[in-house]
Amino acid sequence: MMRLRFLRPPGARPEKEFLARCLQCGQCAQVCIFDCIKMRTGFNPFTSGTPEISPRDAPCHLCMRCSAICPSDALEDVSIEESKMGYAKLDRKLCHTWKGFIICRSCYERCPLKATAMVLEKGIYPAITDRCVGCGVCEHVCPEQAIVTIPTRFVT
Amino acid sequence: MKKPTLKTSRRIVQIGVAIAFILIPLLNHFRISYFTGNFLCFNAAGLPLADPLAVLQITLKNYYLSVDLIIGAGIALGLAMILGTIFCSWICPFGLFSELVHALSKKILPKTYKGLTIKGTGFRIKIFLFSLGLSGFLLFSTTPVLNQLSLPAWYSRIFQFYFEQKHISLAILFLLVILLVEFAARRRLWCSYICPQSFLLIAAKLANPRRLKVGFQEEKCLCKKDQDPCRQSCSLSLDPKRLDYVLETGCNNCGDCIVVCKKRGKALGFQFRGSK
Repeated sequence: MMRLRFLRPPGARPEKEFLARCLQCGQCAQVCIFDCIKMRTGFNPFTSGTPEISPRDAPCHLCMRCSAICPSDALEDVSIEESKMGYAKLDRKLCHTWKGFIICRSCYERCPLKATAMVLEKGIYPAITDRCVGCGVCEHVCPEQAIVTIPTRFVT
Repeated sequence: MKKPTLKTSRRIVQIGVAIAFILIPLLNHFRISYFTGNFLCFNAAGLPLADPLAVLQITLKNYYLSVDLIIGAGIALGLAMILGTIFCSWICPFGLFSELVHALSKKILPKTYKGLTIKGTGFRIKIFLFSLGLSGFLLFSTTPVLNQLSLPAWYSRIFQFYFEQKHISLAILFLLVILLVEFAARRRLWCSYICPQSFLLIAAKLANPRRLKVGFQEEKCLCKKDQDPCRQSCSLSLDPKRLDYVLETGCNNCGDCIVVCKKRGKALGFQFRGSK
């Protein structure tokens, strides 16, 4: 199954530059200890074999092993805060807490950048700040699928 | 114990490499990642190895080289400069399958069947296709798109796909179709005429006139005029007795002809001499 909305691993350059540098060797997928990086399947000669992350299936935990091993620097060695993979968007109409029935906090508790990328408004309501790097953990854990991670692949 | 012939030890290495690239993704799946990568770029416990063509494509599009890639492609090209394209004959898993299919075709199909005959030498066709592919890449693509033509890379990628994400790649059919065509044609078409990855290795080999070559000493040859066991043994359909400069570009230094010649006067042998 081909997914259209997918993230590149942390530290990835803008899409065009990334594709020009990626050797399609799959080392990032092989060192990923959370098995979240998959090699893109199919026969599109321009993207086949390049890495992708689908946060609904398995989110990135920002261990940064992949960007450390990348032999052609398609994934740059950057700090966690600078690894702009995307940004998360919270739909307040779907969120348990914002709907006002249940205090959920699943996303807040799991966020690797807790209290910087995700904060609690008034101490209860989860809100995503512009420090979010788009790892997709919140999208993965959200019971209502209220969060969608939008990739920044095409933003230069 | 009998000392194994060159062919036996070569087969052992080839099969070992082919099995290793099945085991590596499996080991990676269980979090043992001393060895990672595929035939495009490989990391052997810290030692980088890379496909020179993949590195060339990345360099041409980004004006960039990392130390890892220089070392990786340098090892591959340096080896080809000294020992010839032994990557093709000792390591490449597709080369192994292609050789086995060629041998099978010789055994099963009738002796009178000559197979496909192509005029002209393989290297000229390879130069033409390579420059076509490279200019296509430079004009239309930013991704290293010629990587998709690397059959050893597809071989290793099939297992990367399977063990890491349980995806059975249809590239298997692609490999099988090529092998089937080679079986029917009784020629190793991909290796002789198409493989763009081997082009740079051949170019590196030609840069060194004192590289390892198969040499023929006519005075030692015991065969009669119409006998040519060495030619029969060559899986690339070359004639080891008449290896001139042009034909020698296609030779992978596999040594099958030398093994056959051992019982017939040892007229063929490896040597580092320059071309006469």
